[in-house]
Amino acid sequence: MEITISICLGFMLIFAVIAVMNKSMLKSAIALALVSIMLGVVLYLLSAEWAAVFEISVCSGLVTVISVSAISLTNEDKGQLQKKYMDKKRMAILPYILILSGFLLVFIVLTAKIDLPYDKISEPVSDSLSEVLWNSRQADVWGQIIILLTGAFAVVTLFKEA
Amino acid sequence: MSAFEIAVLATGFLLILAGCFCLMRTYHIIKIIIGIEIAMKAVTLFIAYAGHINGEMGLAQSFIITIIVVEVVIAVVLSGISLNLYKKYKSMDLRNIRKLKG
Repeated sequence: MEITISICLGFMLIFAVIAVMNKSMLKSAIALALVSIMLGVVLYLLSAEWAAVFEISVCSGLVTVISVSAISLTNEDKGQLQKKYMDKKRMAILPYILILSGFLLVFIVLTAKIDLPYDKISEPVSDSLSEVLWNSRQADVWGQIIILLTGAFAVVTLFKEA
Repeated sequence: MSAFEIAVLATGFLLILAGCFCLMRTYHIIKIIIGIEIAMKAVTLFIAYAGHINGEMGLAQSFIITIIVVEVVIAVVLSGISLNLYKKYKSMDLRNIRKLKG
């Protein structure tokens, strides 16, 4: 399982770099969807099945549909796009920064002997998502409802005919 | 710390770095949405792994679902702003927001 997760994490990083560096917005949006799919697989392997379903259907489906429709509704001239934003030139140093930071992080973790804070004292609340969400984290559900309503009102206000 | 734990932590930190780099270096609004999403994916990964090592997967999943809801609302609102900005200035450049009045 750990090998599969590690491979998925590697692909996630590669697709994230493609999403950031690609000069074509459409390809960037598709690379972002692939990052979401890889994260969904990782979540499933870490036995977070419900979160994986949400991640793949909402983040990989809905967000991609939203960004692709925004891209197609705003068809800026392709030739001008690169001249105007210079994304390819401005993002060129990203892989070097990532490789350098990766080596630095591994070096720091290995030399400082940092350990993850395992919490073995407290008893787990519950393993079932519905029990946790509806009983002990009810405030979260209200927060989600308020956030969704805020988003809906924001969209209604943004697309209001003047 | 095992090699697997180092791999998860390094991937998360590098994803946050890539997202922040994207936010700092671009002016295109859709690219900014992509940068925010990538950084949030790393947070989701960290929370899922925290739930895995502590055996509190139910709690971690409830947090992840909250994060996903926030992520989607951010993407929708930013896309709406970008469409309105394009309608006004015929450009997706974020710097045009400074010209808005009232």
